[in-house]
Amino acid sequence: MTNLNTVDPATVAEAKLETNDVVIAKSSIILRRFLRNKTAVVGLVIFLALTVFSFVGGFFTSWDKETIDPFNIGMPPSAEHLLGTSQAGIDLYALTVEGTRISILIGLVVGLVSVLIAAVYGCTMAYFGGKVDKVMLFILEALIMMPALLVVAVATSGGGNGLQETLPSWLLLIIVLLVFSWMGTARLIRSLSMSLMSRDFVKAAQYMGIPPRRIVWRHLVPNIGSLLVLDITRGVTGAILAEVAFSFIGIGIKVPDVSLGVLIGQATSQVSTFPWMFWVPLAVMFLLTGSLAMMNDGLRDAFDPNSSSVGSARKSGTKTGRTRKTQEKAV
Amino acid sequence: MSQEMTASAASAGLPATDLSPAERLHVAGLHTAGRHYTDAATDAVLSVRDLNVRFNTENGVVHAVRGIDFDLRAGKTLGIVGESGSGKSVTSMAILGLLPPTAEISGSVLLQGKELLGLNDKAMCQHRGNDIAMVFQDPLSSLTPVYTVGTQIIEALTVHNPTMSKQAKEARAVELLGMVGIPSPKDRLKAFPHEFSGGMRQRVMIAIAIANNPRVLIADEPTTALDVTIQAQVLEVLHTAQEETGAAVVMITHDLGVVAGMADDIMVMYAGKPVETGSVDDIYYNPRMPYTMGLLGAVPRVDVAEKSSLVPIEGIPPNLIHTPTGCSFAPRCPLASDACLQGEPELWPVPGGAPGGTTVGTTGGGLPHQAACIKTDSLGLEVDVREVFKAPAVPESRFDAIPRAERRTVLELRDVRKHFPLMKGALIKRRIGTVKAVDGLSFDIREGECFSIVGESGCGKTTTLLEIMEFHKDQDGEVVIGGLSNKQAADAKTKGAMRKELQMVFQDPTGALDPRFTVFEVLSEPLENAGMFKAQIRQRILELMELVGLQPDHVNRFPNQFSGGQRQRIGIARALAVNPKLVVLDEPVSALDVSVQAGVINLLDQLRAELGLSYLMVAHDLSVVRHISNRVAVMYLGKIVEIGDVDSVFDNPRHPYTRALLSAIPVPDPVQERTRERIILQGDLPSPLEAPKGCNFATRCPVFAALPPAKQEKCLTLEPELAAAPAPTDQQFACFYPDGELDEDMLVVHDTH
Repeated sequence: MTNLNTVDPATVAEAKLETNDVVIAKSSIILRRFLRNKTAVVGLVIFLALTVFSFVGGFFTSWDKETIDPFNIGMPPSAEHLLGTSQAGIDLYALTVEGTRISILIGLVVGLVSVLIAAVYGCTMAYFGGKVDKVMLFILEALIMMPALLVVAVATSGGGNGLQETLPSWLLLIIVLLVFSWMGTARLIRSLSMSLMSRDFVKAAQYMGIPPRRIVWRHLVPNIGSLLVLDITRGVTGAILAEVAFSFIGIGIKVPDVSLGVLIGQATSQVSTFPWMFWVPLAVMFLLTGSLAMMNDGLRDAFDPNSSSVGSARKSGTKTGRTRKTQEKAV
Repeated sequence: MSQEMTASAASAGLPATDLSPAERLHVAGLHTAGRHYTDAATDAVLSVRDLNVRFNTENGVVHAVRGIDFDLRAGKTLGIVGESGSGKSVTSMAILGLLPPTAEISGSVLLQGKELLGLNDKAMCQHRGNDIAMVFQDPLSSLTPVYTVGTQIIEALTVHNPTMSKQAKEARAVELLGMVGIPSPKDRLKAFPHEFSGGMRQRVMIAIAIANNPRVLIADEPTTALDVTIQAQVLEVLHTAQEETGAAVVMITHDLGVVAGMADDIMVMYAGKPVETGSVDDIYYNPRMPYTMGLLGAVPRVDVAEKSSLVPIEGIPPNLIHTPTGCSFAPRCPLASDACLQGEPELWPVPGGAPGGTTVGTTGGGLPHQAACIKTDSLGLEVDVREVFKAPAVPESRFDAIPRAERRTVLELRDVRKHFPLMKGALIKRRIGTVKAVDGLSFDIREGECFSIVGESGCGKTTTLLEIMEFHKDQDGEVVIGGLSNKQAADAKTKGAMRKELQMVFQDPTGALDPRFTVFEVLSEPLENAGMFKAQIRQRILELMELVGLQPDHVNRFPNQFSGGQRQRIGIARALAVNPKLVVLDEPVSALDVSVQAGVINLLDQLRAELGLSYLMVAHDLSVVRHISNRVAVMYLGKIVEIGDVDSVFDNPRHPYTRALLSAIPVPDPVQERTRERIILQGDLPSPLEAPKGCNFATRCPVFAALPPAKQEKCLTLEPELAAAPAPTDQQFACFYPDGELDEDMLVVHDTH
């Protein structure tokens, strides 16, 4: 080691490694697999476009969500109001932009945070086991059995008056949705990490004397990582749909805040008279949830090592082909 | 592709007419090559011609089976041998029509003169379970858990005999269960599958398969999932079943020992093609294809004391997406020359091999001895397979010269126990018994030696390993690893020091490696934990890769990019990373193919010699144990029943259980298999709850069964202690009547020829 003149075998091998392109980084494999799924790419593009639209869309019109145009009340699309106006005379384009932003915001926040809570909760349960597991599982079951609909109704309309004054209605809805959305995932993560805990590689790490915290961080979390990513997109879709549903029946977002659900709910009574008011937000909602669903499929293919989606895009030849074979054999 | 399909459909529908010139030539060539068996084909119950199976996958068309021909006559057994992925199982599934509709099958399968290929599922059902039946590999999953065993046997009878009366069916089911050796068959008819052990379930599977007196019985690795003693029982049952029904048997296996005693003919498959066929004696005593020679040399022998390295076959089988342009074995063959790459060799008759096999006593009808190798002529009897495959020399350890008593002790167990309480009751639990998984184990391992623990599953081998790995203060009994006792100090520092002395290699190489770690990360984990610096770690990892025979530039691949044998090498490298004194091996090669297994065993042997390692190995394969170990302990129900030097225990077993275990091991030597006397133990390992008072083994003991009642009393009331055998060996055994007569009922000699 101390002799500087000797050639370090490590550096020689490393030099070799840098020049050979046989080894593909995991991230690029995932990206490649994801990009191979055309539907998923389309979904991603639509989702990104909608997100961009919800932020910059407001600059393309002179109207905003509060200004009433007294000359155009309940008018169909025209040159002045691209998507027409609502019964109150507010520009529907501006409303849709605002509604989309609120819906995406709710979806992303609820989707991300609930998966985070679920991961922490689930891993804790699996890791400690025994009594801790039993108590935490009881709390979880109790939450699952709570009627979420009623709680949302009470929190956003009747009961928590004090809360409603201090918090905007979308933030309140986010909190309520968060409380009720993580249990399923948490249970899934618990069972998954429990089975991982009994796998040989975890045992091997334990027998090597690796401290438990490192085992959880280095072995457990990466191995449920793909599930987490999937659950985030699923959670986002779920949250958007829940928001739409709650707002639709009038217990979610409250005017003056708008969301896609509020817009759809307001327009349902007069679908035949003012069809544009109903179809425009519905189409946007469909694009939003549809694009996420499309992405979800591609993400599963990309992350799941057992998926059969590895297809034609194998330009590098047989190398990866053999990989698939051994992988399948292993499974 | 579609053109090929229509062609094959046409040939399947109208055999021997309407063939393309090429096919006609092929058929003609086939007939000239084996004229004698076209005659035999008339009385063959199953004849397969040019069977091809292709699967469409995303990667392209996998040509899984590439032209198989054989004839099977009633009462004969054909063994199909090969590595995993060689197309053995696919062949059997194709014959039974069990492949998914996406598989393309061409060729011809004649069952008693009737074409089976091309039949639809409904028509096939007339034959399946009736004329042709199958025994699957995994008995645990091939019975429906919600129906009783009786219902499932009767179902098989009902389907093919709708007119049979209920009483008749029940009587037949009882008869069948009795035939496969299930005690009190009448009562067991109403039992559910979970009430049976694995071996019993496999017997039930065989009973169902022979229910309708099939003409052909296909057994796909019927004993791979079972213990050796149970394997011997099941093979015996298969033998009886064949005698009773007169069926022809196709035995698919990777274990050359299993077929040696059972089969009349052998077909060795490689890459979807038969590479050598012939009578069992031809294949075992006069192999002419390097692959067969390698396979035979790769199997360790339980009956040979002389130490020699095993023959490793390097490399992995080819990917069948690409049609091989040369001999498919050429990339792994040590004898391959340029000529081998020019076109794939057909099966040629082996010169000197009498048509119809050379087996004494059989006249014609068997598979002719053929080999698909252009060098067949030069590979006579005089060729030494060890030289051909460049088997490494037997490594010498520096400890071999030092007497055992003078070597340092690396591991010592003193009276280690592990008892699990057995609880019952939903609300209030009460203790209804104790499972004595490990019951008072004491042994020691010296530097540079390999100590093995053998026994059936459930005897406490793995629990013993876990107890050692656990290294906890509250354990019952003392574990001393490299001078550190679990009693003295079990704080983190001592534990850390102990972990440096002791490392483990797991049974399943796939499960033991985190799928998301590159090899570099896998190997660096223990080193980082030991507090090494980055540069040191990198150098050490490259050293390790070289040590276990892997290419150093493979370090940033993921485990799933390696074959099973290579993965096990990574597992070994990880265990060696921190330079332990003792490596615990939990069934290190049982998940590997025979050819790969040989390489890993050689590696373990070499590492032991070079690094002065000690091994504690748990294995159920006694041949592997004999090959690699210096000392061995035989365990039964949590206790050591015999312990000592491997050669003295294996050559001169004193305890009846050791004798039974050893006799259950099939030897890859047909003549010996046919003539040797074997002990077939009755029943399974007793449940720990019903453990006998006196000698644990009394319930199954062949010596006990033959004893007069006065002497039996002693076995039933007193527990035998480990007692030393007379010098010069250091063998110890726990039996009162080590030289007792064996019970006649439990002895079986096959006299088929």
